[in-house]
Amino acid sequence: MAVSLNRRTGAVSFFYWIWDGIDRTIFTGIKFSFPSRFVSPFGFLGMLTFITFVILGVSGALLMFYYFPILDRAWDSVEKINDVVPYGFHIRNIHYHGSNAMVLLAILHMYYQYFSGRYKIRNEVLWVTGVILGTVTILEAFTGYDIIFSERAELAISIAASLTNSIPIAGPTIREAMFGSGFTDFVLRFYAQHVFILPLVMLGLMAVHFPRFLVFDVPMVMAISGAILITGGVFPIDMGFKFEPTVPPGITVPEWYLTGLYAFLRTQYDKFVTGVLWPGLFIGSLLLLPFIDRYKKFSWKDRPIVTAFGITGIAQIMVTTYWGFYIPPDTTIPLVQRLVIDPIFFYLVMILLVPLGFGFSYMMIKMAQEAERKAKLRSDKGPKKVATINLSQKWLNWVIVGLIAFQVYLNIAAYNAALTGLNNLSLFFTGLILLVFAGLFHVYRYALSEAKRPPPPPPVHATEPHAKEVKAEAPKELPPKTETS
Amino acid sequence: MKLMGAAGTALAFAPFVPWGQFMPNPDSAKLEKVPVILPDGGQANINTFPVNHAEVITYPKTGDQVLDGEAFRKWQFIRLPEELGGSKADASSFRAYSMVCLHLWCLWKYWPQEGRKRGECPCHGSMYNPMTGTAFAGPASLQAPPSNTLAKLDMEADSSGDLWILPAKWGPNNNGVVGYGRFVE
Repeated sequence: MAVSLNRRTGAVSFFYWIWDGIDRTIFTGIKFSFPSRFVSPFGFLGMLTFITFVILGVSGALLMFYYFPILDRAWDSVEKINDVVPYGFHIRNIHYHGSNAMVLLAILHMYYQYFSGRYKIRNEVLWVTGVILGTVTILEAFTGYDIIFSERAELAISIAASLTNSIPIAGPTIREAMFGSGFTDFVLRFYAQHVFILPLVMLGLMAVHFPRFLVFDVPMVMAISGAILITGGVFPIDMGFKFEPTVPPGITVPEWYLTGLYAFLRTQYDKFVTGVLWPGLFIGSLLLLPFIDRYKKFSWKDRPIVTAFGITGIAQIMVTTYWGFYIPPDTTIPLVQRLVIDPIFFYLVMILLVPLGFGFSYMMIKMAQEAERKAKLRSDKGPKKVATINLSQKWLNWVIVGLIAFQVYLNIAAYNAALTGLNNLSLFFTGLILLVFAGLFHVYRYALSEAKRPPPPPPVHATEPHAKEVKAEAPKELPPKTETS
Repeated sequence: MKLMGAAGTALAFAPFVPWGQFMPNPDSAKLEKVPVILPDGGQANINTFPVNHAEVITYPKTGDQVLDGEAFRKWQFIRLPEELGGSKADASSFRAYSMVCLHLWCLWKYWPQEGRKRGECPCHGSMYNPMTGTAFAGPASLQAPPSNTLAKLDMEADSSGDLWILPAKWGPNNNGVVGYGRFVE
């Protein structure tokens, strides 16, 4: 009796059966690819945003077990999650820092697409849904930090409500319809939007936005998850103060993705113009970008005007974001005066940033072209040298053993930290464990591909011509091919 | 033909248009004339309520402790000082303004002391004129109308001097919107 030569036996064949079945469903449109070698990290940003969304979904669902969307209990329930519930601190910090990571990744993803001109590869729908998705992501994050109902949350809700009210004609009606008529309604409705309505909208948009080729890379996913946990460990988020309507609130600023808008509001200029029209204009021009950008080329170096606008936009975002945070430290002047930003100074800086941004872009493009020219000259002269790390099989094994030993140590440390109540330390170690796992996975993957590589031919036969060919075609790990590709 | 198709479609979905009323909370809509109930549980009366004095009243009352406790249902019930006409024995000597400051929604209150006699917000120092409910100092006074004048309640007194709150209409042109403001005629 011969042994079956088919390697798909037992559980493996079952998994392939499921995989093939899934491949005939709606997911046929999406091709998951698992790159076996390093590709540009920017290409991962979209996928990482999605992974963060999944992390947020899971951690948020867990938070729902303990959270009360009730006016006088919301803050207390979050405090209970943070201080009493075992590992509630971890879940809450993952959820909080995950939200920041998602907004950041989404913004970076957008700017990568912006400067690389990749939105030209496919149609405009992908870009437009992406911009809407980004806006909804920020709304989602905003409703999230409002339902803690701390002092800052209350101020944020009141600003959101007053901005809605400031919309001409329909404003008060919209506010009444969307926000309801009091704090009880605000908390409950923001909660409904945060946990259901907005995620549903995001999932719907994602179905359209999803690329046909999804680059999924385990070490990358693990690294970003680890980074979220480590940030949570190093900068654990505090509770803020519970909102008491008779207690004067301290100085609070919104989350970093809204301080730019906050800076505009602090000029005390008309609420509708500063708080609704300017951000609307910004989002609107981003939406229209693929219709405005008529350059035939992709690279940012070949699209000077688009690049210059992008750089100017980033500069303005950075300046306003910092300005929104900055409050003069002089406590002798009244708080309200400290909060006000001189509109003339502010708008002058905004306008001044335009020529600066354009000049900077021009300089960057010139420098990049010069560097390109030099690189070309160099490559004409000599062979291109790339530094590589070559480890033997033995040393690869030792690296893996070392990483596993480190994992064991970190596991003990994390558990011990959690036992002794050092929640942030335990979160930090857990993040480190994920990072180490990312490294482990990569080394393991590399070792496997090295093991599959045919052994180098004996040196005596090196002169034979075909020996070189064998070495040249290093086998790559490919995803299982299917007939639908 | 196309017109009939359009008419049919419009008729099929027309009943759903008023369903938009699901969105605003009806708690604030179906209102009737209710007595002014002071914190001590009694009804405010023209003959007993002291001049130049204020109390917190809840409106509209639901009976639910949590809902009644919230800032958006809290009103400053003020009897004006004498020089502003507070000694007159009718409803005109009384005012009821939303306690939610128009700036950032802290709770302001009336200070009867000599030299103050105005509504003051503890958070950023907005001050309100007790006669009209309009902010005259602080950040709330810098906001464009209607966001510089507090929402108010209309009241009337019966023959025994007991005070009643008339049904309020929430709109910037009527009683105003709590936390947003009111246009002054």
